[in-house]
Amino acid sequence: MITAGIDAGAATTKVVLLSEKEIVGYRIAVTAFDFLIAAEDLFSALLSSAGIRREEIDTIYATGYGRNAVIFAHKTISEITAQAKGVHSLFPGVQGIIDVGGQDSKVIVVDEGKVVDFLMNDKCAAGTGKFLEYTAKALEVPITDLGMLSLASRHPAAITSMCTVFAESEVISLRARGIPKEDIAAGLIGGIANRVGVMAKRAGLKDHIAFVGGVAKNAGMRASLEKELGVALFVPPEPQITAALGAAIAARGGNK
Amino acid sequence: MQSGLKSLDFFTDSYNSRIVQLNEERAKGIRVIGTFCLYVPDEIIFAAGADRIVLCGGRPDTIPVAEQSLPRNICPLIKSSFGAIVDMCCGGDLACPHVALVDLVVAEATCDGKKKMYEILPDFLLTYVIDLPQKPDSPKASEYFLSELWKFAKILENLTGREVTDGSLREEIRLSNETKRLLHRFFELRKRDPPPITGSDVLRVMQKQFFLAPAQFREGVSRLCDEMERVIPDACTGPRIMISGCPMAAGNTKVTDVIEEKGATIVVEESCTGTRSFWDFVDEGPDPWNALAERYLAIPCACMTPNDRRIARIVDLAKEYKVDGVVYYTLQFCHAYNIERLRVQKALKKEKIPMLAIESDYGDSDVEQIGIRVDAFLEMIE
Repeated sequence: MITAGIDAGAATTKVVLLSEKEIVGYRIAVTAFDFLIAAEDLFSALLSSAGIRREEIDTIYATGYGRNAVIFAHKTISEITAQAKGVHSLFPGVQGIIDVGGQDSKVIVVDEGKVVDFLMNDKCAAGTGKFLEYTAKALEVPITDLGMLSLASRHPAAITSMCTVFAESEVISLRARGIPKEDIAAGLIGGIANRVGVMAKRAGLKDHIAFVGGVAKNAGMRASLEKELGVALFVPPEPQITAALGAAIAARGGNK
Repeated sequence: MQSGLKSLDFFTDSYNSRIVQLNEERAKGIRVIGTFCLYVPDEIIFAAGADRIVLCGGRPDTIPVAEQSLPRNICPLIKSSFGAIVDMCCGGDLACPHVALVDLVVAEATCDGKKKMYEILPDFLLTYVIDLPQKPDSPKASEYFLSELWKFAKILENLTGREVTDGSLREEIRLSNETKRLLHRFFELRKRDPPPITGSDVLRVMQKQFFLAPAQFREGVSRLCDEMERVIPDACTGPRIMISGCPMAAGNTKVTDVIEEKGATIVVEESCTGTRSFWDFVDEGPDPWNALAERYLAIPCACMTPNDRRIARIVDLAKEYKVDGVVYYTLQFCHAYNIERLRVQKALKKEKIPMLAIESDYGDSDVEQIGIRVDAFLEMIE
């Protein structure tokens, strides 16, 4: 039996194909304007590259911000439940999950893969991947290099604005004052790590914490968050697909 | 979500007839009092021969008018209400027609946002503010509040030319207790599993409590209860949810609608548009003034400190209505309810009752975000 999990995220779409034993394949792509087309295209592309026919897929579950647009899915589940299932399959002992994605950040308290409590950030971009994306632009650094750059900082700049627009102008004024790029990068990342860290502490997370979502790929962010929380974080090799994986796991027991 | 109960039509259709009624009353010289809060005893208003309507705004469209004078970062209820009055006084057409029918606003010293707004309100409408002791259990708090009620009664007597006698007050207390008893009957029916009515429908009924004349309202609720007793409930399924927190003024049904569209049913509301208005009765003994002071000062609003009464009430209601989870609803920038959230959360955690906090304004921009939280919450408690 093969099931599929589709995470129609605000920034990126992720698809995971899962057999009884393992992940058969996965793909990640930037979400285009239309959630459905983005999901459909990515799903088809993954099927053909994995050499699997569509009829072989038993059940499809969708999750993520655009989950309801994915009309070819048999069922939808929230990304909070999906993350809990996905992360539990990779790290069974985990008690907390920090998920920093494109549009929001979440902290989930879990027990044996079941959601016990969760918190999400307010409705603005502060503390999300979008914040890093915009401010990296102001710094004229590719988003993929921001984390490594920040690790080279010796005197991180203090970035106090958590509003994306204000932080952008703060970055520009720091540049004007001749502050090194790496220090500004470290300041930006430190700001988010602090914000997400407060949310994690508020939810009562202490140890055995997994860090997932697109932002977990950022080595600087991971280091900064570990410092903030005082523990090592569990980061899966592909932190962006855990919600899609969770949806595929849920689809195993689910009905069509 | 709709329950399909026919007796609900009365509440939807009653706006225009009430406006006609208010206009007729005014033509006869009857004064109309506008209020903003449960702490202002209706009984005194009616005993003085006046009518009353509550002016709390739940609509987003009058907010930009208010933001021309008020800070942006205060609660949307204050902005919406203030904006409606300003717009009406400046010849605009945003406010509902009833706003123009008010002779006097009787306000109250509750939260900071309202208190300071009431200082600007007299530029537009005649306004009187009742003071409230904010530590209701202090010795003499009730005595002081009583003196405030007397002053308030004098103001009304001057306006209407009718004395508030002990006898007329006792009669109004008796009638308002009748409304309260009826609402207890109404809420009692929601304990059925599945409940015979959705929370969205109940909210729309409760919002009318603050607009219709009490006798009209009682008639409507009584008919509704009769119908609810007859129907075999099938419309309401899913987890049983309790709402606790800020009022949802007329026009504001966003969070309730989202929760029920996601498949849950709201079975009780601990809020001004829920139990807070009717849960406690006024003593019908020989001293109506003291009875009013005591009953009204005991309203468990977050502007009071400490507010243990509210925490206990929430836990009791959650158990009594056998809820699967509590949605703690706050208006954006409502500091009192937002801060009190932590104590409520702790108390519910102790009882192993799950809670989801939602802070929102009157805009539609966060409907999806609220939806995600509600979906996850419902999956969590299933």
